[in-house]
Amino acid sequence: MAKLTPKDIDSKIAAGLDESGDWIKVGMSTCGMAAGAGEVFSTLQQEAKKRNLEVRIKKCGCQGMCYAEPLVEVHCAGLPDVVYGRVDKETAIKILEKHISAKTLVNDNIYEVRTRRQA
Amino acid sequence: METDRKIILLADTEQSQQDKLRDFYTSFANQIKDKGLEDAVSLVRASDIGIYGKGFAVKILPRGIVYTGVKESDIGAIIDASVKGQGTVERLLFSEEPKQIRIVLRNCGVIDPESIDEYIACRGYGALKKILSGMNPAGVIEEMKKSGLRGRGGAGYPTWMKWKFTRESQGDRKYVICNADEGDPGAYMDRSVLEGDPHSVIEGLIIAGYAIGAGMGYMYIRAEYPLAVERVKKAIGQAYECGLLGKNILGTDFSFDIDIRLGAGAFVCGEETALIASIEGKRGTPRPRPPYPSVSGLWCKPTAINNVETLANVPYIIMEGGDKFALIGTEKSKGTKVFALTGKVRNSGLVEVPMGITLREIVFDIGGGMLGDKPIKAVQTGGPSGGVIPVDQLDTPVDYENLQKLGSIMGSGGMIVMDESDCIVDIAKFYLGFCVEESCGKCAPCRIGGYQMLNLLNGIAEGSGSLEDLDKLRRVALAMQRASLCALGQTAANPVMSTLRYFEQEYREHIVNRKCRSHKCRSLMTYSIIQDKCKRCRVCVINCPVNAIEGDREKGFFIDVSKCVKCGKCFEVCKFQAIAKE
Ligand SMILES: Cc1cc2nc3c(=O)[nH]c(=O)nc-3n(C[C@H](O)[C@H](O)[C@H](O)COP(=O)(O)O)c2cc1C
Ligand code: FES
Repeated sequence: MAKLTPKDIDSKIAAGLDESGDWIKVGMSTCGMAAGAGEVFSTLQQEAKKRNLEVRIKKCGCQGMCYAEPLVEVHCAGLPDVVYGRVDKETAIKILEKHISAKTLVNDNIYEVRTRRQA
Repeated sequence: METDRKIILLADTEQSQQDKLRDFYTSFANQIKDKGLEDAVSLVRASDIGIYGKGFAVKILPRGIVYTGVKESDIGAIIDASVKGQGTVERLLFSEEPKQIRIVLRNCGVIDPESIDEYIACRGYGALKKILSGMNPAGVIEEMKKSGLRGRGGAGYPTWMKWKFTRESQGDRKYVICNADEGDPGAYMDRSVLEGDPHSVIEGLIIAGYAIGAGMGYMYIRAEYPLAVERVKKAIGQAYECGLLGKNILGTDFSFDIDIRLGAGAFVCGEETALIASIEGKRGTPRPRPPYPSVSGLWCKPTAINNVETLANVPYIIMEGGDKFALIGTEKSKGTKVFALTGKVRNSGLVEVPMGITLREIVFDIGGGMLGDKPIKAVQTGGPSGGVIPVDQLDTPVDYENLQKLGSIMGSGGMIVMDESDCIVDIAKFYLGFCVEESCGKCAPCRIGGYQMLNLLNGIAEGSGSLEDLDKLRRVALAMQRASLCALGQTAANPVMSTLRYFEQEYREHIVNRKCRSHKCRSLMTYSIIQDKCKRCRVCVINCPVNAIEGDREKGFFIDVSKCVKCGKCFEVCKFQAIAKE
């Protein structure tokens, strides 16, 4: 990567975080990894590919809700942002099939719902 | 797209009983169907909606209305008012300001910690740019003074003063160090910050270096945190590539380098003078202060040493201004504190709260209350240098001074919630035992005093203590506090002192009645067979490792107390709950 100038920093900050499109973030810090986030992450990647879903699977750090790891945040057009907790392989697939494809939320694993951002 | 569909979330805010919630869900779904609304809404069961102890909760999106204490009989009214219509059912409405504020954890769980671009997109390195294009070091220190930020590593020393003294000290070279040794049992705030947002700590360290006039910084990370080390390494590499570290940062004449040093897992190496010795390649033992590191630190040069969380606050303060930061918190303790909430609490995890919040709010409103709804006994803060705070002090606002008044300390942020099954003597033994293990052995008060106190505690837990032991404990504690070389020894007795202060009765029960009310101290337990419940199946007889259970099927079975080693095996294996444990 090239060296940044002060101007570059200003323009990157002005552009903000690219949260466009549908995405899924998996908490991949020690607490998440210990609870199985690694497997959830690779399941999401593989299964999304299999189903030709256009969704970015991303990593992030610990949100703080360690009791409910692995945590997965889902951003999908038309739905509020949802944090799912205690996600295993099975739930990960449900998230892709229900939340991303069918646009309905998955029962029994919701730990936080963020009020909808205006896209 | 089905964007106009309303989403209705249902949650049980008591200790989650999925069955009850399922019934509630079914009734709700039926009534929606009866009213012909099934195409207009989708109904979802949530596990947690951040509200606790308020019965069933219903949240309706996109408006975000929340109802609590909802009974089956209220469902109709809610559907009519807020699903069909645009109104609300006033009497069930719930509203509350969020209790957590995210400054230190602002990016944790938001950005990809391995991407410098995402950090910058969230205003990262904006503070570095700001100081390099128009704030002199004195200006930076002034901003820190306005913020009132105090060290988050334990002692709570004002960060601006530490920086000012280091800046004013004479020396051809100066150093800054980030203390990421985090050795308190149960604490992992710093690990999460390093793993979730490493650049914020790096940026804080660069700013500290600029403020005090240092050209070199070290990150001292404990080797047991491999993922943190990996992410910090990667982040440092990225910062070099982008010209945010190294020579002529952002095209100015400020140059700064960072290197990582790994701590080998000794608790005492988190103490600043021991940490410095460790970086110098010497044995990690503390030395007397003064001189303080700000005068003579690493390689005898002026050195500012700050904790991870302290540094993660710095970019925020520079970007947003010290005044804004100082709006949060109490008079003498500004900003937020991250705690690692663990123990007998429903939601263990990291919480970031404004200073001045009460322990009760942390445990019940954020932590979701006690596991199994058992009564709370006490909260331990400050780890092995801290103390326990009893239940009648839970409404005290949390800040440096208040916790100290209560005989504990803020510490680095471990917070362990206890219920009646936790024995006070056992807890004191655990923390003191930790300090005895970790004592560097250099000074006698800590090395010998700690060992003697632990012996006394062991005696009490085994039923061979006497009431004079309590005075002895107090006397030795005082000697350790006054005469130990470093804060490890000076504070090692705190857990014993604070438990004695609030729970002396429980110590006395161990000594006088030879009873441990929490059934934790093994030696004080007696096992016996409840004859009415005993089915004479002989399972306990077969399992007892010392053949202490005698008798036969006709006369019944009895435990010979003189042979019993109190292993608890009979209690575990009995299918009929016929073994009594007292
Ligand atoms: C035994 C002992 C262990 C310590 N462990 C740590 C630690 O793990 N992390 C930390 O930041 N400070 C620790 N400290 C406190 C440091 O000595 C020092 O006060 C702190 O790093 C200063 O940073 P601050 O002003 O930002 O809080 C420890 C102190 C003692 C006596
Ligand atoms: S280790 Fe510091 S006083 Fe004992």
